[in-house]
Amino acid sequence: MSEQWFERDPLWFKRAVFYEVHIRGFFDGNDDGSGDFRGLIEKLDYLQWLGVDCIWLLPMYPSPLRDGGYDIADFFGIHPDYGTVDDFKEFVEQAHQRGMRVIADLVMNHTSSDHPWFQESRTDATGPRGDWYVWSDSDAPYRDARIIFVDSEASNWTLDPVRGQYYWHRFFSHQPDLNYESAEVQEAMLGVLRFWLDLGIDGFRLDAVPYLFEEEGTNCENLPPTHAYLRRLRAEIDARYPDRVLLAEANQWPSDVVQYFGDGDECHMAFHFPVMPRMFMAVRREDATPIYEILAQSPGIPGNCQWGLFLRNHDELTLEMVTDEERDYMYAEYAKDPRMKLNLGIRRRLAPLLDGGRDEIELLHAILFSLPGSPVLYYGDEIGMGDNVYLGDRDGVRTPMQWTGDRNAGFSRADWAQLYLQPLMDPVYGYQAVNVEAQLRSPASFLRWLHRFIALRKEHPVFGLGSYEPLRSDNSRIFAHIRRWEDDIVLCVHNVARSAQAVQLDLSQFAGMVPEEMFGRTSFPAVGELPYLLTLAPRGFFWFRLRQAT
Amino acid sequence: MTPDERQLVEHVTQQRWYGAKSRDVAHAEIIDSIALRTTEPQFAIALVEMRYDTGAHDIYQVLHPEDDTPGVARELVSAMRSGRTLQSAEGTVEFRPVSGFAGLARELADAHEVGAEQSNSSVVFDEDLILKVFRRLEPGINPELEVLRFLTDHGFANIAALGGWYSYAGGPLAATLGILQEYVRGGLDGWELALDELAEDPDRFLSRLRRLGEVTGEMHRVLASDSNDPAFCPETPSVEALGLLTATVDEEIERVFLELPDETESVAPIAGRGEEVRDQLRQLTHAGAAGQFIRVHGDYHLGQTMWADGDWVILDFEGEPARSLAERRRKQSALRDVAGMLRSFAYAASACSLMRGVEPPEDWEEEARARFLAGYFETVDPVLLPAGQAAVERLLAVFELEKAVYELRYELDNRPAWVGIPVRGIQRLIEEPTAA
Repeated sequence: MSEQWFERDPLWFKRAVFYEVHIRGFFDGNDDGSGDFRGLIEKLDYLQWLGVDCIWLLPMYPSPLRDGGYDIADFFGIHPDYGTVDDFKEFVEQAHQRGMRVIADLVMNHTSSDHPWFQESRTDATGPRGDWYVWSDSDAPYRDARIIFVDSEASNWTLDPVRGQYYWHRFFSHQPDLNYESAEVQEAMLGVLRFWLDLGIDGFRLDAVPYLFEEEGTNCENLPPTHAYLRRLRAEIDARYPDRVLLAEANQWPSDVVQYFGDGDECHMAFHFPVMPRMFMAVRREDATPIYEILAQSPGIPGNCQWGLFLRNHDELTLEMVTDEERDYMYAEYAKDPRMKLNLGIRRRLAPLLDGGRDEIELLHAILFSLPGSPVLYYGDEIGMGDNVYLGDRDGVRTPMQWTGDRNAGFSRADWAQLYLQPLMDPVYGYQAVNVEAQLRSPASFLRWLHRFIALRKEHPVFGLGSYEPLRSDNSRIFAHIRRWEDDIVLCVHNVARSAQAVQLDLSQFAGMVPEEMFGRTSFPAVGELPYLLTLAPRGFFWFRLRQAT
Repeated sequence: MTPDERQLVEHVTQQRWYGAKSRDVAHAEIIDSIALRTTEPQFAIALVEMRYDTGAHDIYQVLHPEDDTPGVARELVSAMRSGRTLQSAEGTVEFRPVSGFAGLARELADAHEVGAEQSNSSVVFDEDLILKVFRRLEPGINPELEVLRFLTDHGFANIAALGGWYSYAGGPLAATLGILQEYVRGGLDGWELALDELAEDPDRFLSRLRRLGEVTGEMHRVLASDSNDPAFCPETPSVEALGLLTATVDEEIERVFLELPDETESVAPIAGRGEEVRDQLRQLTHAGAAGQFIRVHGDYHLGQTMWADGDWVILDFEGEPARSLAERRRKQSALRDVAGMLRSFAYAASACSLMRGVEPPEDWEEEARARFLAGYFETVDPVLLPAGQAAVERLLAVFELEKAVYELRYELDNRPAWVGIPVRGIQRLIEEPTAA
């Protein structure tokens, strides 16, 4: 029997720091060249030390791996490279014992074409699973739906030679969409969720959630029946599985994404996609306006919901949610080599995107951590790992975690040639220069800095729970705002410019209070009636707690 | 706040066991309550959630009525004796006796509360039994229950026998609420004994320390003896274990030195030497191994020991109350306990002059360390320790440094007169050459 290691806490995810793990790339526990659950268990102490509250696992199911595991061939198993269902259970238990929760990717929209459901559907059109996928005699329907993987797919329909009909797929042609018009499909997917929840998992990151249903004359995204089905999932969770979360991946504009919160009765969390490219844009343009603007356009969300915020993840840095002009700007600034582009995005890791600039990396983390939402870190970015743009698709940002300067980056004891991907070896980001062991040892390293920074953020629930009140000034290079929760008031000021800046902030509503810098606990002059003057170093930032003068 | 809520806040915050006295309470709520006895006099347990102004919160076990703790305690023990299971609105409370524990058969006559500590309170019955009530609750099994049960099952004799326990499982959390133990009759508190004997006959206490080392070594041997129990099975630490430890200690050093008052005379020997301390830590951890990681005592010092019937008894397996339960249950190097005891000798030597007005012999601390370590190294399973004496000494020094830094912070906040003790400990560690 597994023990219960958490208090009842239905809003834990609002104060949590998430960490996204590519199981294959994290640590190889059985010396076969591929990361696995045994290996992940060995590294839990590291994640606990870092301050991670919730581990998000990339897809772990049996799969032909033509799309990094997002092409699932069996919803009830674990990919043999990663271990067994028992290994998974052990991993969840071990994480829980360390006070960390676990959520996993789940793709509800489609399966791999290898999935037995699809094989049955294509060979037996009138059989029990004949209608489990979206079949059509022509490729004419749903013309208004865009093609997402523009680099590899010409149509959302592909002719299946076996059944002699077209099947619908919003992503790769080897990923047929499930037909949610079928009540059986709806019930089957509910069964998948129950299976993993019963094993102790703390929730799901629901991949590609806007595309469950199709309807003629629409763009086939965010349709009402899709929301109705999510409400059904949520009701099931609320009734039987307290303190679990649904995190929606809906790469959409905020006004569309908020629909996935419903009235607090759909998903608990959703990623805020558009804010991410704007943080990068602000740093390049040395102008904080894009961040202010996108946050101003973000509607309020129900109190029991939370945004998921991130700088980078396992996919390309997506530029779907920017204007064409902005996209051209981002490509010109961040993807000078055409190999760096993928679909509508840039397939690079955080550190190389910022030319390895320590100040820039810290500043972006500061902005990320200060915003209303829960930060999601991507494995390897905590040591400033690099990427390999010469690898295909998104493999370039999924290379082995660099643990030490030893053989295979300390990731695996297998032969070099056996590794699923070779670790980076270039002089700047290679494992001999960038690894956990060295950064743990060096007090000034980015890893050590981030560890302290996570601890600081977690001391103040205001960052997860509090209000967001922008503070505009006449210096557009400064991004400043107030966070407020109960009696905790925090002032965050960031300089996105390469040069030192002075700013005068209207803090008159806090007259008499004393700003205390949160890292070093130094008191600054008390706030008066006049504008409050601050000077910031290039790419510098200050976080203050505003305290009543004693 | 409603008047009821305000009353609840007042009631909880004025209790001796209430640990968060310096924090501002924003809300308080009874999240579950369990009736122990419905006829007069009525007894009950309540779980109360205290929410602070920063949004953080704690859950406390409150007894009703709180001014008759012995009465409620008597009811709790009788429920253990009969192995009751009680239902509440949100969960269940299970009371369980340890089979074969003779102490439960007796009638309870006298019951009185003894020295309340932060986070728990204790009631002694007839100098026979002691009930420890955990006040601040955390989800998961309390290590005190977990470790005592394990040591009992594996035949470690130098503990006070476990008699029973009670625990809660329900919507809000699952947690151990309290344990019943044999009361060590006529036992002498190890810390008090050290001070008394240091003042009167320092050699007498020294003569007991080899045995304390042996008992400690035996305790670690037993704690590491069952590879079939996942909660106790020894682990080979991951490659970055030493790095994580170093980083944690290093940050603690940095923080303490950042806040070190420069005008206080007692810190003068180490003032401005934070970087030296950190360098020393780097030297100590530059190379080396961590041995095996096992479950340990977790808060080991003379105050957790008793001298009774010519041998040592080890008490209080709760771990450091300031750490989270998940941290306290983590496996770690056995040398962490050893370092805790070594620091305790330094404290005893200084406390003797501070509290008894008697200067202990100059080499007393050195001699105490030597005797304790001799007994320990002779008994402990060497597989648990890093290979080679030099590596053992280096790791031990790391844990002593960690402990001394923790003490420095504590004394600066709480007992300025005692600051000199950790200061001397830190000074000693930076001025001693490190074993290569």
